[in-house]
Amino acid sequence: MRAMDALKSTNRGAMALLAVFLCMAAFPSLIAPYGPSERSMPYQAPGPEHILGTTNMGNDILSELIYGARISLLVGFASALLATGIGLAVGLTAGYFRGALDEVLMAFTDVVLIIPKIPLIIILAAFLRPGVGILILVLGALSWESIARVVRSKTLQVRETGFVMSARCMGFPPLRIMASDIVPNIIHVVLPKFMLATAAAMISEASLSFLGLGDPSMESWGAMVSSAFTKGGFIREMWWWYLPPGICITLCVLSVAAIGFAFEAGEGTTVRVE
Amino acid sequence: MSLSADRLTRAYRNGFLPGSRRTVFRDLSLTIRPGETFGLMGNSGAGKSTLGRVIAGLEPPTAGRVCFHGRDTALMNRSEYRAFRRSVQVMFQDPSAAFNPKKTIGTSYMEVLDLIGTPRAAQEAVIAGILESVGLSGELLGRYPHQISGGQSQRLALGRILLLDPEYIVLDEPTSALDVSVQAQILHLLKELQSERGIGYLFISHDEAVVRFMASRVGRIEDGRLVIEGEA
Amino acid sequence: MNPVLEIDALSVTFCGKQAVHAVDRVSFSLGGGEILALVGETGCGKSVIAHAIMGLLPGEAQVSGRIVFKGRDLLALSERERSAMRGKDCAIVFQDPSRALNPVHRIGRQIAEPVLIHGAGSREEAHRRAAALLERMGLSPPGNYLPLYPCQSSGGMNQRFLIAASTILDPSLVIADEPTKGLDPGRVREVEDELVRLTGGGRTALLLITHDLAVARRIADRIAVMYAGEIVELAENDAFFDRPSHPYSRGLLQSLPEHGFVPIPGSSPSPVSPPPGCRFQARCRDGKAVCGGQHPDLVSAADGRMVRCWQCR
Repeated sequence: MRAMDALKSTNRGAMALLAVFLCMAAFPSLIAPYGPSERSMPYQAPGPEHILGTTNMGNDILSELIYGARISLLVGFASALLATGIGLAVGLTAGYFRGALDEVLMAFTDVVLIIPKIPLIIILAAFLRPGVGILILVLGALSWESIARVVRSKTLQVRETGFVMSARCMGFPPLRIMASDIVPNIIHVVLPKFMLATAAAMISEASLSFLGLGDPSMESWGAMVSSAFTKGGFIREMWWWYLPPGICITLCVLSVAAIGFAFEAGEGTTVRVE
Repeated sequence: MSLSADRLTRAYRNGFLPGSRRTVFRDLSLTIRPGETFGLMGNSGAGKSTLGRVIAGLEPPTAGRVCFHGRDTALMNRSEYRAFRRSVQVMFQDPSAAFNPKKTIGTSYMEVLDLIGTPRAAQEAVIAGILESVGLSGELLGRYPHQISGGQSQRLALGRILLLDPEYIVLDEPTSALDVSVQAQILHLLKELQSERGIGYLFISHDEAVVRFMASRVGRIEDGRLVIEGEA
Repeated sequence: MNPVLEIDALSVTFCGKQAVHAVDRVSFSLGGGEILALVGETGCGKSVIAHAIMGLLPGEAQVSGRIVFKGRDLLALSERERSAMRGKDCAIVFQDPSRALNPVHRIGRQIAEPVLIHGAGSREEAHRRAAALLERMGLSPPGNYLPLYPCQSSGGMNQRFLIAASTILDPSLVIADEPTKGLDPGRVREVEDELVRLTGGGRTALLLITHDLAVARRIADRIAVMYAGEIVELAENDAFFDRPSHPYSRGLLQSLPEHGFVPIPGSSPSPVSPPPGCRFQARCRDGKAVCGGQHPDLVSAADGRMVRCWQCR
């Protein structure tokens, strides 16, 4: 019982933290003290006017931090949504129809599993203009395999239960059975995977931005760290420039992951009297 | 008008090598006539449930055919097959898995009526009528599957099948998971419904006493073969 | 002779959104070498009693009364003391051996495990005892069975292995919760023989929980019938099956195959709000006015049995 209580308070803490980041992403103009194009003296140390100091261009670091939340959360959730969508479709189809279709889909899944995400983006960046859209597309299109496998195995299970077989017997169309009978009963394993995919995508985005492959027009947290290093923040020991974005990445990913784990662990228990 | 199996064989592949097939049963033939019960016995794992599923069209046979009203189901066109699908239903053993746990009983009932095209206005009356036939009250419609007992669940499952007005029902161990007193209730209900509506049953059970109580003709599956006895 | 187990006014209530009264003031005793069958429908509370004795109830269960095992009130003990007793002094065998046995360990190891856990012997000693136990069960040579995995033997055999694992430390009390459910008739007999063999020595007491009256008929010394959380009849085996007293007991026997599957109309009352008066009254053919008004107590009848019924006095 103590473990369950600890879990609940962790979950509440994580949700509160995520809520903070979501606010930062949704209403940056309300929270940030300065706009993204306002400039003052560059390379300032933290002070009463700029709580976290300024960058080499004179932008307020705290405001950049707040505006940066958008990219991380957008790329994170959007690519996870894409991955979950593809994973659900592939897994459901393979698990429900079985047979040859199943074999083909699973072989395809195995192939996708092998493709490495980050090198692929690096190569794509050489040919296309890097941007948020490409990022979301590539990250999403390469992260669906484990979701597909989990969905397939649960579908295989649920498919054999009495009510699904009855539905097949009564002549409900397959798509209807999948949407109405199978998905609601497997969603509890998909949700945690969605959250964890979000966390992974956020880390990937941060890494790519750090490498300079992210969207150059939007200063995400990873890009901030990158700027701090390349534009003289490291040499000037301006820890207030490169540490806060790093901490934000860590905290944001942790909160999303913690919620994901909490979904995994929390299955409602109902008392059955035998 | 009958439902019959003609030299049915069902085998599973157990790997890619030829010859590694597991044959569940072979060359089975039986006929269920309208309004009568054919009892199927055998030990667990003998293939009774598989035979039930093949006859109901849930699994394809490896060889042989299932005939409904004299027509081979594999050769039926779309509308004929749909009629077959409606007319042959299956009731399963596990009462706790008979309904989608995320939907109320009422929702599960209404979606069947939507499927067969019953207008919304008429649905309430139809459902009330069916509930009366299975001896239950309407207040169960608002409940979720985990809130009803095993006996109630089997009755409701039966009721849902009756919405389709089937000609045949394959009953796969319908009372094996129920208490002895509840079993007696369900068996009597099944008999009542059969005499009222003329439904043919394929009654599958490992419990010989139950099968002999319900069936007029009895068969036993052993080592993949079916042995049909005379009148029980 | 002192009874091994004495249950005194045991009540169990589950506190959730609504209070579920699963067990209501149940009392009975069990002596060494005796088999008491607790029969009743699903939901009557018999499994809850088993879990209460073993201390396996969930946190939201409120328990009152006394469970006296070999002179000690189990409800007054700490969890650590109770867990030291589980497996050693009192053991429980659950239904569905395919769930209770670990599929990745060999049978031999699983049967020997309780010995190791309770520190009652070394590894060689534990395996020796497991082999000796299988020999006594008639499974010889034990070398044929010890290295098997659960998936390699049948449900009936697995149930016997489970009984062996639960009883290797010679517990004084064994609770078998629906041990024959889902088994083929031949396997049921094997499990029955095993259970009878357990109590043969006169020391071990067996509380058999089942809804299968046929099994109870064949092996139990006494029968206790439960309905809606209460014991409604408690009698010796022969006396019960020859002349059942309580209307529910009679109804149960009527619904057996040999009596034509005659059903009892209606269904059991909800454990959330039990009706006033006799709980079986709504389904009873012989009900009179007093049955609806006053709740009958469990009283002794002339032939020594206990019955809870206004009509059976």
